Formats: sequence, C-alpha cells, structure tokens
Amino acid sequence: MSEVLGQFLKALRAADVRVSSAEGIDAGAVFQNIGLADRELLKMALGQTLAKTLEDKAKYADCFEQFFHSADLRRLQRDESTPEAQAEPDLGGGDGMGPSGSGGEEGATLQGLLETGDRAQLQLAIANAARAAKINQIRLFTQRGIYSRRMLEHMGLEALEQTLHQLQKTGAEDDVTRLRARLGELREEILATVERQILLLTANAGTRLREEILHEMPLARAEQSDFRIMQLLVRKLAKRLVSLHSRRRKIAQRGQLDVRRTLRRNIEFDGLLFDVVWKQRKIDRPKVVAVCDVSGSVANVARFLLLFLYSVTEVLPAVRAFVFSARLAEVTDLFATLKVEDAVATTLRQHGWGSTDYGRALEELSALTLSEIDHRTTVLILGDARSNYGDPGHQHLRRIQERARRVIWLNPEPRSFWNMGDSEMQRLGAACDRVESCRSLRHLERIVSELLRYSR
Amino acid sequence: MKNPLDTMPDAVRQALVTIQEGFESTGYLCSDAIATSVFLATRLDKPVLIEGPPGVGKTELARATATWLGKPLIRLQCYEGLDESKALYEWKYGKQLLYTQVLKDKLGDLMVGAQGLRESIARLHEFDDTFFNPEFLEPRPLLKALWEPGGAVLLIDEIDKADQEFEAFLLEMLQDYQISIPEIGTVKAHVPPICFLTSNNTRELGDALKRRCLHLHIPYPDTALECRIIERRVPELNASLRRQLVAFVQSLRGLDLKKSPAISETIDWARTLVLMHAEMLDHELVRATLNVLLKFQDDIALVDTELFTLIHAAEKSA
Repeated sequence: MSEVLGQFLKALRAADVRVSSAEGIDAGAVFQNIGLADRELLKMALGQTLAKTLEDKAKYADCFEQFFHSADLRRLQRDESTPEAQAEPDLGGGDGMGPSGSGGEEGATLQGLLETGDRAQLQLAIANAARAAKINQIRLFTQRGIYSRRMLEHMGLEALEQTLHQLQKTGAEDDVTRLRARLGELREEILATVERQILLLTANAGTRLREEILHEMPLARAEQSDFRIMQLLVRKLAKRLVSLHSRRRKIAQRGQLDVRRTLRRNIEFDGLLFDVVWKQRKIDRPKVVAVCDVSGSVANVARFLLLFLYSVTEVLPAVRAFVFSARLAEVTDLFATLKVEDAVATTLRQHGWGSTDYGRALEELSALTLSEIDHRTTVLILGDARSNYGDPGHQHLRRIQERARRVIWLNPEPRSFWNMGDSEMQRLGAACDRVESCRSLRHLERIVSELLRYSR
Repeated sequence: MKNPLDTMPDAVRQALVTIQEGFESTGYLCSDAIATSVFLATRLDKPVLIEGPPGVGKTELARATATWLGKPLIRLQCYEGLDESKALYEWKYGKQLLYTQVLKDKLGDLMVGAQGLRESIARLHEFDDTFFNPEFLEPRPLLKALWEPGGAVLLIDEIDKADQEFEAFLLEMLQDYQISIPEIGTVKAHVPPICFLTSNNTRELGDALKRRCLHLHIPYPDTALECRIIERRVPELNASLRRQLVAFVQSLRGLDLKKSPAISETIDWARTLVLMHAEMLDHELVRATLNVLLKFQDDIALVDTELFTLIHAAEKSA
C-alpha cells in the first residue's frame, strides 16, 4: 500500500501539486480507512487530504485518472493482499491466484501467460516487471525503448525466444505465428505503460525549466508565446510581494511601549501612567505614478513593460498609470476594469507604436500630475529614453523630481547601450534619483520590493 | 481469497449514507464529497477547511453537523484584529483584583508570629498560587470548545478575514487540540472538537494551516441537488416552476457576473415567487424580482438584456 501511495505522491509532485510529507501521512490514513475498492470514494477522500487549492484539485483529478486506471485498482488491491507477490515480484504471474507458472520457469510463465491470454495475470506481470525495471526513474521520452526492453526481458523474453526457435525447428508454424502475434500485443501494451509513466512523471518538468529560464531571460528576447507563462510569473511575483508588504504593515501596528511619550502625555494625570502610548513604525504607503513608454523603439518589450505596469497597479494601493508614445494617456481606469491580456492589447492598440516624444510626454505628465505629487509619491518611468533627437524634456522631469519622494527610471536596454545614438539617458538620468537597467524578471522583482520598503 | 479491504468501502458507503440521512433530518442536503469530508474529519480527527463561493452553505454544514451529533456549536467569527483575548481566554481582572484585596486583608492573620521578611515570604510561598487559576479564566470560543466535556463542533468562520498571526496561533489548536496559557500550562481537550474552518478566499491562507486541515471545496450545487434543496426548503413551490427556476439560476451562473446567485439567493427567490403566487416564470415577473437574485446593478442590467432567451431556455430544459 505504502509503495503505491509513495508512487502516487511522486506523480502528484511531478504535476506541480505541493504535497508535504504530513499530508502524505494523512493520505495513508485515508487509505487505511477507505481501502482501494471504491474508486470514486477514494478519489474524493484523497482529494480532500492532498489538493488544497482549486488549481491543485484540477491537477489532482487528472493525475488520479492517469495513475489509477479502473483496472489497476483491482490489481493493486490483489497485489496488496498477497504477500508472496510483494516478497518475490520476480515470480511474475505466480501469485497463487490462478494457474501458477510451472516452477517459476519464467519463459514458461510468459509463454503460458501469452497462451492462456489471462488479462489480469498479464497486467500483474507487467506491473511487476515495471517495478523490477525501476520504471519510476524514467525521465526522458527517448528512454522508453530501453525501459520497455528491460521489462520484456524481465518477463522472460529470452526464454520465450528460445522456445519459439525450437518450435520453429519442429515445424509448429501455427503456434509460432500465434505466439508472435501475442508477443506483439504485449510489446504494445508495455510501451503504453512506459509512456503513461513518462507522462505522469515529466508532465511539468518542461514548464518548470522554461519558467527558470524566463526568469533570467532578457525581456526583449522573450517570445509572444511565452507571454502567458510570463504573465503567470509576474503575477506570482506580485502576489509574493503583496504578502510581504502586508506583513510589514502588521509589525507597525503592534509596536512597543514608548516610555518617553507615555510619561510626557501623562503629566496631567499627576504622573500616573494612565494613557499609554505605543511605539509605532509608520508605514510608507507609497503613492506611485507610473509611466510606460509604448513607442516603436521599445516595441519588442512594450508588452512586458505593460504587463509589469499592470501588476504594479494590482499590487500597490494607489497607482496612477500612464502610457505614451507621442502623447501621454492615462490608463489607470482601463487597467482597473479589464483583465490583463485585454488591458495590454487595448493599450497597445490605442496608444502604441507611435514615435517617441519624451519632451511632450514629460511636459504633459508634469501638467497632469504635478499638483498631486508630494513627498510620498514615487514616480516610476519605464522607457528607453530614446527621444528621436528631440527635446528630452529633462527640465520637466526635474520639476517633478523636486517635489516627488523619488524618481526611478527603468531602462530595458543594457547599460552599455545608454547614451548611444539618440538615447538621452545622461540628461534624463540626472533628473532621477535612481536609474536601473531592467531587463529581466529578476530586476523587476528587486525594484518592486524596493518600492514597497517601509520608512522608519 | 476474500480481501478484507473489499468489504471496507461498503462499510464506508454505509457510513456516508448515515451521515447524509442524518443531515437531511436537520434539513441540510449534501453531496457525497461533503459527507466524505465529515466522515474523514470524524475518523482522522482532523479539522476541515471549507472553501467555496459565498452562500453555498459552508456555515450551514457546521450547524447541521452540530444538530445531527447533538453537540453544542461554538462559533468564532473572525475579523481583522481578532486576538487571543477574544478568541481564546481572558483573565477576569475584576475578580483577580478583589482576590488581592482579600489577600491583603488576610495577610495580617497569615503572618502572625513570622520573624522578619525572609520567614514571611517563606510563609507566603506555602500557599497555592490561586491568582492565576482556571477559576479566574474567562473562556472564549476556542477554550470553551476544548473544555466542553462531551466534545463540541467548533466553527471558525471566515478565517481569511483574520490576520496572518492569528492563523499561526490556531496551528497548535488545530493539530493537537490543545492550547498553551502561559500562566497555567497547556489545556488539552478530553474529547477533540470537530473543527470547521470556512474561508471565502479573500486572501490566500498559509500553507501551514492548509496542511493541517482536510480541504473541502463546495461548489454551486448541480441541478438535481439544487432542486432537492428547494423542494426541502420551499415545499410550497410547485414542481414545474421549481425546475424552471433552478434551470434559470443555473444558467445565470454560466454568465460572467460580478456575483453569481448562490443557494441562499435561490431559496429567497423561490420564497418570493411563492409570495407572488407565480405559476410559471414570466418575463415581467422575473424582471421585477431579479433584484432578489442579483445584488449588483451591472449584473441586473446584463441579465436584463438576455432575459428572454434565458427564460426560454429554462422553460425548455425544465
């Protein structure tokens, strides 16, 4: 039982369901209480102990279907009830349930199995062979040939071949063709078993690898097809940052006794400590004004910048989001109402792909928001600072910077490209508190977490 | 060879049917999944974390379990800022103060003949420390549930509304059914209470909490179950209208609404229709009573435009 369960847990983990060992133990208890015979019941009960979110439940359901075939369940159960089968899996069909093989002679068993055509026996033999061939270690699709071969050998292929050879010599042609046909079927079945195993164990290995790579990959090189995964990653990142942030706020609420202020406040009560004051750390709830360049020069990263901008508006409580190519436009409401894909697509359609005019955009930005910008506001600009040799508008940016808490410029180009050609990073960067090259999700993560940092 | 495991599921099924019938007698109809979770909760002594959209009967499940088992239901409603003095226990400060007063008065009698400070303190130590005594404890829901001699059903409602710290504080309680009171020690339940936690998913719960619980997701009920629930709760409604009504509500849940109607709303609507003496779903009637079912003006506007097709489809499928 425990072995089956262990395998199942492994398969679940491979499918990206997070299962702790404590939950594994619970699942064992469920097995004890419910048994294997009622499949639906088992599925429900295990689902409640192992999968604890809706997504996990869906993955779990798939995994369960793949792992426990209806036929398999009966077999597993029989397997459990016959200790001999456990102790000596090599016996193949010899588990005492039916006509056992003649004295454990494996070739004879395989031949016998093929001739009697007992499905249950055959399934059991396959399962045992799979176990012996350590099929749970299979990792790559290209390995399936080796593993199916190993399983066949374990079931006594060699002996069978010899028998076949002898039969051919003696001229029993009918027997030979019949056996060969059966063997062919067996091969197919084994191959199917192996492939199922691959699917179970490696279903998510690919995605996980991809996620790792995407995390480090420059945004500009990410492909359209990765947008979906990227979106999930950014969402994950945003979520993590939010939870970090909320925890920090709680620390501030608790505080310690502020002796000095308590004494001072209680002078009027004759020094009796009546009104207690707690030390509190104030949390900076940053107001953010975020501006994103969506012009032609950043075309290949605009989608991802917008994706990030969208996530920022989700994570932080007070964000005004703007985009510009030639003219500035506010997209705060758009982001608030639309889902991320639609929001990004709409923004690009309405405002994207124009030629950049930093001077004008920054002028409009200062006209629109300057009255709102105060010592708590962070201004975040995503753009490559390429102004088509026009006025970069750094004087407007400087006016903003004078009032704002800080101005952060994130440039999707690597530092070595800055100030080449029409890039105005030198002049614009001078009017910023921080300038960062932001080329991958790692960078984004670091910067957002900085935005959320609390002040003392 | 007869396998003992073969007969087990039958026994389990039997237990599930018992649970379902027991719930039905209290007026709560439940699916197999819900019955399984109650079965497992009693068997494995584990708390159940119930998630699902609002109004599908999460809280009701705890109430039904309590009624069915004849145990008291102890409810702890969570909210932001809930702390242990409100959830677990509080000292009866007033009584403690009185106790010290009494002690002060009696102190003279106690100290008769004591020579010097050292001896007095030694005398004082001979007395039990009754200042921190369970008698001065004011039990709050969690402690009450542990103290209940015959076991209780503990409902921790909307755990997602409480702070993360409170969640961590619950862990000891949920795992071992015991809690630590620094001044006294640990209090352990004689009979572990059956715990239900509900969450509306306004925030992601911690892994540690989830790990200790069975997880039950109650979705909106399917047509058959919802029909039975309405039949049970609003028996005055005639059968054909009931089918139409349920089909209509089910189709609403397929739409992209801000807030889909839950069972509680279906029941309210059914009651409304009974009051209006409706014989069948007609266009005007539905339009007039839609606000019972939908709680957002946007949703009502959206459904209003498709009302005709929806009603038609409901009539057809019923």
